[in-house]
Amino acid sequence: MAETPKIRVPKTAKKGEIVEIKTLLPHIMESGQRKDKDGKTIPRKIINKFAAEFNGKPVFSANIEPAVAANPYLQFSAKVEESGTFKFSWTDDDGSVTTAEEKITVS
Amino acid sequence: MRGKFLAVGVAAAASMMASVIVTDSGARAQSKAPLGLGQDAAARPWKRYPGWPAADYSKYNTLGKLATAPAPKEPRKLTGPVGGDAANGAKLVADRSRGGSCLACHVMGPAGNADLPGNVAPDLSEIGNAGREDEWLYNYVFDARVYNPETVMPPWGSHGFFSEAEIKDIVAFLKTLKSPAVFRTALDNPEKRPQPVEKRDNLDPLENPGMWAVEKGEELWKLKSASGFSCNTCHSDPKTSFKTWAASMPKWEPRLNKVLGVEEFVTRHARTTIGVDWPMETDNNRAMSVYLHFLANGTPIKVDTESAEAKAAIARGVELSKRKVGALNMACTDCHGIAVNKWIRGQWMGEPKGQYDHFPTWRTSLLAIWDIRQRFQWCSVNIRGDELPPDSKEYGDLELYLASQNQGLTMSVPGIRH
Amino acid sequence: MRHLTRRAALALGAGSAAITLVGWNGGAFATPQAAADDIAKFTGGATPEKGKISIELPEIAENGNTVPLSFAVDAPMTGTDYVSDVLVVAEGNPNPGVATFHFTPLSGKAEAATRIRLATTQNIVVVAKTSGGKFYTGQKLVKVTIGGCGG
Repeated sequence: MAETPKIRVPKTAKKGEIVEIKTLLPHIMESGQRKDKDGKTIPRKIINKFAAEFNGKPVFSANIEPAVAANPYLQFSAKVEESGTFKFSWTDDDGSVTTAEEKITVS
Repeated sequence: MRGKFLAVGVAAAASMMASVIVTDSGARAQSKAPLGLGQDAAARPWKRYPGWPAADYSKYNTLGKLATAPAPKEPRKLTGPVGGDAANGAKLVADRSRGGSCLACHVMGPAGNADLPGNVAPDLSEIGNAGREDEWLYNYVFDARVYNPETVMPPWGSHGFFSEAEIKDIVAFLKTLKSPAVFRTALDNPEKRPQPVEKRDNLDPLENPGMWAVEKGEELWKLKSASGFSCNTCHSDPKTSFKTWAASMPKWEPRLNKVLGVEEFVTRHARTTIGVDWPMETDNNRAMSVYLHFLANGTPIKVDTESAEAKAAIARGVELSKRKVGALNMACTDCHGIAVNKWIRGQWMGEPKGQYDHFPTWRTSLLAIWDIRQRFQWCSVNIRGDELPPDSKEYGDLELYLASQNQGLTMSVPGIRH
Repeated sequence: MRHLTRRAALALGAGSAAITLVGWNGGAFATPQAAADDIAKFTGGATPEKGKISIELPEIAENGNTVPLSFAVDAPMTGTDYVSDVLVVAEGNPNPGVATFHFTPLSGKAEAATRIRLATTQNIVVVAKTSGGKFYTGQKLVKVTIGGCGG
């Protein structure tokens, strides 16, 4: 079951403006390096890929490793020339994908 | 058992509705609030959290009982030269598994290729030039109380952290320290290391994952229990009626004969009104405590310090804060007094003022929310002493004393700390 | 405010999180050589030029669990000339890899921020690749604080 991400995108922007986007997905980012109290390695389970697109075109993406902290946070920029929709996706080691959308009005 | 308990809760809830439902005043609700006096607010017997050190510290003082053996009165006699293996001593002084290591408080020249040593206690980098007798050095490490009964230094030998032979190795190492410390980088010098500044916006969910508890608390507020009642039944406008309440807590509670904090209040009140079981140090209790504190954010802390009962509780808190506890034989004031504005290894020790206004707080090192009572418990275990149950009277006295030192500071919960 | 599921609350908020289990324990750690190998793979063997990258990291991290990292590459972000990829490696973690960021002209700026885990005091190295096949690098040392009580 996917968790609900927290996202901050400005509601409006001027044409050609570079806007700042912040995202966080609640996720333990189990590194695969930890041992439980019986000394058994806890299997790795992380978000390994994040991608952001705007009106279907790629804006930013990241392949991430266990060295990214729990509740993976990513902040980046986007240059917007038109109104539209950002789509975000987080891919888990187990294959599940969490997605979210945010609209922006460009004037 | 469960059925009977719920039935009692529902009956109590029903009987109080008529009188309370007409007023939604946090302050008034507190003075009359049903508290369910018959049961403890936390697990009994108290069991230490999973993942915490499981060691038994029952030989030593806690904030609840005195047990530590008396300090030796006389220094131990050395029959010959101390001998010892200085190379092994260099390793031992940096061994963090033995009570934190000497470097937590002392700069020690090249010891352990020291990263971020502390400066609570004297720089020992030139102790080898000080002309100290072997026997004096040996006893100072073994149990410094023979020279200074009030010392902060743990009795490393008397309390079994190091064997006699190991202490001789440490002394041999100390005797080799003859030149001023050379630090690996400027930051390693505790006299020059910049003190940390907390700049994160702790109320931004993108900064503070602990904000989950505010959302969870809002949800729990409206959640109807089997009784058909929720917090919302009586307190339908919590944003208004609890705008200042948490800032007035903890408070002396005559019905319990102890200081009552927000967390214990939540357990007792919810149990006896809507019939839910939210014991202290469980997620629902934490969420509700964070939410109630959150509602009072921006309000200056204003606890009762004037009543005779509050004054007596604070006086007891002051005394407890000076009690030596645990195998490390340290009092609250040894760190949160003597070490204030100094470095304990790489950790800056701030003054008590400012250590309460953000609790319960998100701990980035643990991915968990801790309330103040769990923080007290961790301090106890960290100095190798047994913790008390979170609802103990002693922690209540200590919490009120700490809150009184934070009087007037603006509350901002959940905090975010390491 | 967005709704957080019960499971999320538990994943984040288990108050009794095992202290000894937080961070990394046991096992071998990466070396500057392992990090250099990762960089060589990223650059195809080319030696990146020093400069053009600013890195923000605390000089001292209060713990290694969630260390804020941001970087900015001082390079054009036009349709034909832009920073396409940025590799971040840590020289002293169990594995050197931290993340690879991919930019497009729509990114507007070759800048990003995240929060990372650092097992110990170490160098963080950032390498940027442009659409024209140029490589730039920068690095910064982070001291990870050691607690006083051994816990």
